[in-house]
Amino acid sequence: MIRDNARVLRSGAIIAVADLREIYTWKTWIFAWLSRILCEVTFFAFIGKLLHSQAELRYLLIGNSVFIVTMVAMFACVSAAWERQSGTLPLLIASPSSLLTVFAGRSINWLVDGSACAAISLLLLGPLFKLTMPWPRSLFVIPLIVCTGLSTYCLGLALAGIVLRRLELRNLVANLAYLSLMVISGAEVPVTFLPRPVQYAANILPLTHGLAAIRYLLAGAAAGRVLDQGGMELAIGLGWLAVAFLVFRHLAERGRRDGSIEFGSL
Amino acid sequence: MTGVFLAGLRFQAVILRRSPAELMALLSTPLFTLAFAAIVVHAGALDLTPYAIVGPTVIAVWTMALNVSGDIVDSERHNGTFEPSLATPASLIVLVLGRITTVTLVSLLSLLESALIVRLAFGIAVHIAHPSLFAITIFLTAAAMAGTATAFSAIFVLARSARTFQNSLSYPIYLLSGAMIPPALLPGWLRPATRVVFLSWSTGLMRDALRAAPAPDVPGRLAVIAVLGVLGYVAGLWLLSSVLRRMRAAGTVGYA
Repeated sequence: MIRDNARVLRSGAIIAVADLREIYTWKTWIFAWLSRILCEVTFFAFIGKLLHSQAELRYLLIGNSVFIVTMVAMFACVSAAWERQSGTLPLLIASPSSLLTVFAGRSINWLVDGSACAAISLLLLGPLFKLTMPWPRSLFVIPLIVCTGLSTYCLGLALAGIVLRRLELRNLVANLAYLSLMVISGAEVPVTFLPRPVQYAANILPLTHGLAAIRYLLAGAAAGRVLDQGGMELAIGLGWLAVAFLVFRHLAERGRRDGSIEFGSL
Repeated sequence: MTGVFLAGLRFQAVILRRSPAELMALLSTPLFTLAFAAIVVHAGALDLTPYAIVGPTVIAVWTMALNVSGDIVDSERHNGTFEPSLATPASLIVLVLGRITTVTLVSLLSLLESALIVRLAFGIAVHIAHPSLFAITIFLTAAAMAGTATAFSAIFVLARSARTFQNSLSYPIYLLSGAMIPPALLPGWLRPATRVVFLSWSTGLMRDALRAAPAPDVPGRLAVIAVLGVLGYVAGLWLLSSVLRRMRAAGTVGYA
């Protein structure tokens, strides 16, 4: 069973890589996409300058660099909808493999793309804005960024299972989801600054703990604190993966029952 | 001609009412406002609150110009309604201008949204110290944005590769437009580029209009927005006419 799922995951990933190659050439990735991402992080870093505070600049640069992986991983919600538009959903539901496994592989390109963009933003712009980046310790931000991306990707999959029934809302849901995470996860202001109910929500959503782990790492905190937060981020990701499993199962069962899984596209 | 323009206005209003996804920029505005306002409030820089209102507004206006107005002609082609529209005696350019005007006007609602969110979430009431300056700036900005959006709608049809860059024209422009960062804070080599982006003049004037202190050199700055706006219109109308001529000549009007 594990081998079968791994094979399905790999097939999905092949489609994901093909998608990435279709969307970008290396030139458009660097000069259009990555440049745009670097401008986004620079934009927020300059808000720190506007506040005449190097501490704010550091906080915003780190927060918004890491946020990039969340933003891009959330595109899984959008690309899952492409599958339904291609008319393959009924075939996938009829097949013996798990729908979630297919979709988990099918949008993995965003995880790779987002992790690369976030890591480049932080490791390139940090020194440019004269942030203290301890070496080689700073390199450990890369696995933590991937871990944060994985966690967000699981939330993106759960949302994908929902928007597969309302394709016209795919971009809207993805955008509102990642912007909400930007506001409440500690990317812009510490989570403790927010109202208490929002803090509770932030603590069970992706990005919050992964970002905290990266902040601890770059501040030279003990490895235990970094690993605690990194572990929390992974645990939250697993929780959202479980939610995604239930959402996809419900999608398939309801589709079979009411015949709403059609070959058509929107 | 007025009838066609009004028909465009009404038609686009119906589309926006029925397609919540088209209003994504307006739905995102509260979140951008919360983020920007939280940053300035947390830093104790309440004097920068106008930035937290003007910034999300510029983002929404620009995003809708780029993504909604920019897609008008191409979406007509995609829907297969472009050929019959061209075949009617009504001016397609006037119709498109009407539709773009609706999008631009609707995008300005983001200003009210931002002010409301700042009030509700942080209890900060924004007072417009110079209402007439504010109103004139908003009017000129909306007009200039409509002209720029006309150019987008033509470019996205003319060059399919331009689509790749559509998503990338957000934050570089937010940086150059002074949406949150005054051009004076940017590196010296980047500042000349802000002078040709009409939004950088608009954002400065909008923020000045929200402050009690007298705004410097108002006529000159308004004139620059007007001139850049007219240039945007001329470029947009010329591009759109060229695109229509080219599509007719090449027989690609119905290509989707």
